[in-house]
Amino acid sequence: MKRSVKIIAWVTAVVFMLSLVLVFSTSEKAFSSAGGTKKIVFWHITTDENGKKMIQKQVDRFVKAHPDFKVEVVPLQNDSFKTKLKIAMGSNQAPDVFVTWGGGPFFEYVRAGKVKDITAYMNKNNYKSRFVEAAFGPITYNNKIWAVPVEGAGVALVWYNKEIFKKYNLKVPTTYDEFLNIVKTLKSKGITPITLANKTKWPGCFWYWNFVNKLGGASAFEKAAERTGGSFADQPFIKAGEMLQELVKIGAFPKGFNGLDWDTGQSRMLLYSGKAAMELMGTWQIPIVKAENKKFYEKNLDFFPFPSIKGGKGDPTSLVGMASSNYYAVTTTCKYPKEAFNMIQYLIDDQAVKERIAYGQIPPVKGLKFSDPMLQKVYNIVAKAKSIQLWWDQYLPPQLAETHKDIVQSLFGLKLTPKAAAEKMEKAAKDYFKK
Amino acid sequence: MGGREKLQRDRTSKLAQNIGIFLFLAPALILIGIYIIWPIIMSFNLSMFEWDGVSPQKIYVGLKNWKDLLQDSIFWYAFGNNIKFIFLSIIIEMPIAILIAVLLDRGGKKFDVFKSLFYLPMLMSSVAIGVLFKYIYDPSFGLLSGILSFLHLDFLNQDWLGDPNVAFYSVVAVICWQYIPFYMIFFIAALSNIPHELYEAAKIDGATQGQYFWKIELPLLSPSIKTACILSLIGSLKYFDLIYVMTEGGPSNATELMATYMYKNAFASFKMGYGSTIASAMFIIITTAGVLAYFATKKKEN
Repeated sequence: MKRSVKIIAWVTAVVFMLSLVLVFSTSEKAFSSAGGTKKIVFWHITTDENGKKMIQKQVDRFVKAHPDFKVEVVPLQNDSFKTKLKIAMGSNQAPDVFVTWGGGPFFEYVRAGKVKDITAYMNKNNYKSRFVEAAFGPITYNNKIWAVPVEGAGVALVWYNKEIFKKYNLKVPTTYDEFLNIVKTLKSKGITPITLANKTKWPGCFWYWNFVNKLGGASAFEKAAERTGGSFADQPFIKAGEMLQELVKIGAFPKGFNGLDWDTGQSRMLLYSGKAAMELMGTWQIPIVKAENKKFYEKNLDFFPFPSIKGGKGDPTSLVGMASSNYYAVTTTCKYPKEAFNMIQYLIDDQAVKERIAYGQIPPVKGLKFSDPMLQKVYNIVAKAKSIQLWWDQYLPPQLAETHKDIVQSLFGLKLTPKAAAEKMEKAAKDYFKK
Repeated sequence: MGGREKLQRDRTSKLAQNIGIFLFLAPALILIGIYIIWPIIMSFNLSMFEWDGVSPQKIYVGLKNWKDLLQDSIFWYAFGNNIKFIFLSIIIEMPIAILIAVLLDRGGKKFDVFKSLFYLPMLMSSVAIGVLFKYIYDPSFGLLSGILSFLHLDFLNQDWLGDPNVAFYSVVAVICWQYIPFYMIFFIAALSNIPHELYEAAKIDGATQGQYFWKIELPLLSPSIKTACILSLIGSLKYFDLIYVMTEGGPSNATELMATYMYKNAFASFKMGYGSTIASAMFIIITTAGVLAYFATKKKEN
């Protein structure tokens, strides 16, 4: 009797161990084989319904033309994507095709040998001449091209509610003084002049970057960031902080803006409800508003470029943003780079461009005509711009970008004086670059 | 002769027993080894390097990260927040949980439905709760500001998550809301272990409800309260999720905890080496706190 109990115990233990081994080995299998077809894993961050469908449609066309391929399309939330990609790259679980903004963080991956050099593909049949010139800046590194411009232009513009402007007889401002007057008028009418959701910090930075761009010209930032004779403690950076805090102090922004989340639409809710009149945001505002509130898009939404500042060195046409808001890159771990590149081409071929325009984008492609006057207007502004300064948080190395965003959020919260903020940033840059 | 044989047999059966124990424990030990012990060792190892988390080479910097950590004012601010968080959560969660548990326990069977209802927050995922409360706290459209203005208490309305002086307490309130049900169930279980005869005896002796609670129930609950406090202490020290969803440690680091600061360094700033240093420091702090708390409560029991 006792003996049999013992035997049972031993058998159970052995089965336990064996099953563990089996669990590990089968899971390994499930990941690698996947039915025998050739597979491309594709990560993007277009998560609104229309955009997701639009991308899936282009991918489906690629699969139809390449029946031996299977594409796993993974749409991810903007901010969680950044973390996920970093972990995937670090642990060699990278997708084959991924979305990027170019600039500093992207070049980290390039330097680490994680991104495939696609210069040869881009030069083939002069494919690259299809795109607008300004689109290549953020993805050119060591004179090589590392990603394809696909998603539409993303530049910061001031979006406003036409109806509110009409109601209070306000004219679209071209100078900052006019703009400030509008802010004060709206405030006196009980309307929040500018909506802002600054939990994720970059929306507030848009203000700071545009101020610096108009005050010191595009070179002010570039000189400071490249450490070629400029400093983050220079006059334009301090002045930008002062102007920003002036807006905060007169109550231009909604209550609690540092706690509102842009990703969950808390700034746009104020816009839609008519409680706030303006928002400084990227051109992705067009497809998002179109999808979230079509009536508002048709009846209320309009925009103007960031007003120029008296005495500022910035060109009036200059913009902050990028000619293409998202690029797609192929990783070095991709087994079928040629086909992966071809799949990206499907995302921005003539058919895709047509659908992208309908979706509300301004594709980074030359010689386009738009039936939507709003898109035509953006396209003209982008085409006319003398310079488009890349988002600082994409331009700067990630560590500095985080510091910078924290500093600007503190500026908004009136926790730092403009001078202290500028000096703090300069010190961080000095520590990082060691010069 | 016979004695020695018996000893021999005892030894072999003991050996067999030990192997058996080992085999049964092996699956769990292997998993713990791979997913807990090994990463801890790796974190300590990584804390000696400067590494961005992606590039193939790591630069050995010795104890530089640790020196930086000692001088990092944000880390110490976050640590202070953790301490504040421990006290707040114990002071708020324990009394409310005990109160609800006692009331539900007195109520008997007819209050069972409340047990389930009150337990609901614990069943929701932290991310869902975080997003939900972000909307509730919205100063323009939120439920909270709506209720306050309905009651004509507008002056109480705050910039709940955007004001650095308020944000921390706003988030702690939500965390308490989420965790009180856990301790409530914990105390209900403990109360059900108190024999009913005690209640009857006390009643016969003329004790009031209050006297019964303070003189009999509370002393009998004290071991459970100690355990709950240790759980809360350790949970507060390593807390991450709701804070990250609701404020990302902001604004201006007002709600920063050690864990959110670690996460931001390792994954947003690409400072994997420094992030690992913070993680290792957290490991040391939490282990020390846990051991100290354990012995402190042990001693009192004796």
